[in-house]
Amino acid sequence: MTQYWDDVLAALARYPARPEIEPLPLRSTTFATLYGVRLTSLGPYRLFGYLSIPTGAGPFPAIYYPPKYQSVLEIIPQGTANLQRSRYVTFSLAGRGQRNADTPYAAMFPGLLTEGVDDAASYMFRGIVADSVRGLEFLLTRREVDATRVVVAGNDIALITAALGSGATSVVTTPALFYRTAELAPKTHGYPLEEINDYLHLHPARAEAVRRTLAHYDLLGFAPGVTAATLLMAGAPGTLLDGPALGPLATALRGPVTVYESQQSLYKDGLYSERWMAEQCGITDVQSILPAHWRD
Amino acid sequence: MPKARPADYRSKIRKPDDFDAFWSDVLRQASTVPLEPEVVPDPLRTSDDVEVFQVFYTSIDHVRIAAWYCRPVRRAARTPAVMVLPGYQMDPPIPKEWARKGYVALSVAPRGKLRSNRQFNPGYPNLLTHNIVDRHTYAYRGFYVDTWRGIDFLLARPEVEPTLLGVTGSSQGGGLTITTAAMRPEVRAASAGAPYLCGFADAIELTHTYPYEEINDYVRRHPERRADVEQTIAYFDGINFADRISCPIIMNIGLQDNVCPPETGYVLFDRIGAADKRLYPYDGHGHDAGRARHGAVTDAFFARHLPGREVSP
Repeated sequence: MTQYWDDVLAALARYPARPEIEPLPLRSTTFATLYGVRLTSLGPYRLFGYLSIPTGAGPFPAIYYPPKYQSVLEIIPQGTANLQRSRYVTFSLAGRGQRNADTPYAAMFPGLLTEGVDDAASYMFRGIVADSVRGLEFLLTRREVDATRVVVAGNDIALITAALGSGATSVVTTPALFYRTAELAPKTHGYPLEEINDYLHLHPARAEAVRRTLAHYDLLGFAPGVTAATLLMAGAPGTLLDGPALGPLATALRGPVTVYESQQSLYKDGLYSERWMAEQCGITDVQSILPAHWRD
Repeated sequence: MPKARPADYRSKIRKPDDFDAFWSDVLRQASTVPLEPEVVPDPLRTSDDVEVFQVFYTSIDHVRIAAWYCRPVRRAARTPAVMVLPGYQMDPPIPKEWARKGYVALSVAPRGKLRSNRQFNPGYPNLLTHNIVDRHTYAYRGFYVDTWRGIDFLLARPEVEPTLLGVTGSSQGGGLTITTAAMRPEVRAASAGAPYLCGFADAIELTHTYPYEEINDYVRRHPERRADVEQTIAYFDGINFADRISCPIIMNIGLQDNVCPPETGYVLFDRIGAADKRLYPYDGHGHDAGRARHGAVTDAFFARHLPGREVSP
């Protein structure tokens, strides 16, 4: 780990989480109780998350959903069967700027990826990564969680969190933001990487500063710190982040790695991921917690 | 027992007797509000081939609505336009890709979405059930009008060919495509993917995933309000708008869609009034509704019905 990240974690450690946990009866069911959680991160900045605890005697495996690249915070990802909450503790976190954690800072999408990108010390993702690490720390304080079965599932932030934090036993990561960003962005017009192109089109003189900042966030730098089993969700063959493109990342990870190339079907891709997580967590009847239209 | 085929599903969706009167009154209320459009150049997002603007206009209840507006640098004096409508939880995209195809493009952020949430912000989850016991104040009353007003914005633009307007979107954007095509006769072609907000009452029994699960959460917590909920959602169900659609329309659905059940897609398609309509069901696909394969179909459809673009060599 670099001095940059050592400093971030040291700064984060100076702020206790001070969690407030309130039940949310509207989203609680016979099989799970939902809580709203507020906690402090680097800054200090107050965050928000949704914690779901299954009914019954634990401990339970857990899925941690770190901050996504969108304004909305979901309880569980759209399309996931609500019954997932009957078998896993789930915790989804809004990083600074996302809804429910958008005071005083409200992020724009697109826009967040280049917020302060010309200075690594003030880049917004410095705080968001700290937020994500703080979320994992919080989850692991819960007595309902089986610490031997903790999945971190998300985009690049999931992998970075597993590298910087401790306690992730499995990772599902879909790189989209921080893999060879400076090199790959000019090859696409698709957002979010197009944000980098937009920024450099308007501020060409800042290209070197941007490159320096992004270098701190490149997944290749974090990979040697990941010992958890990892499912690397690659793009479809021929796309910017397909399996061959992510090959160096897969090689650099220290734990066991499974590379899955998208079949451009949210059904097939989602089903693979759900089954993989269940297998990692020793859940043998995954059928019972799949969406109705995905069951055999 | 073999699974039932989605196409054989029997829907419980029924149109209220005063459905048309309700929406006529809403449109009348909206018509009293001046559009007050504002178009602000966005140099950060503008590129060599696409000009990007932040757009604002006023909708019903005097709520200010934001949108992204893109136009190709190289274009005809009057260019066909496409309105792009957003999914439930997605942040409305900057529609540069449509401009690169030669269209003027408007991507609307209806009330409650990022950039349109200063006056109305029920949050996510919550939008789907905000005031769901009262059709006169239900969140989607204004939300629908916000998208229809986007057509008014396009009609007011000198670079838009007013006889060549298209509308498209997927998921919630698909549902909004249905309601917009139904309520705005100026729409000449529509493409709806995995339509959400179509078959509410069926969907909450067919699937237990969010966002539809918000309604199940609400009714479980407030069972005494079920009848009011059922009454309200009937006025907002895309299936009940569908017979008003007369423009050419294509629809794509995924047969393993875990968010918007394919059963509701078949029911919706049956109810669409247009003679020129075609359904593309994609087996092996979920809420993507075969997007990767279907993109070329959509492009060809709009190219046929919205001619007159300047296409880059």
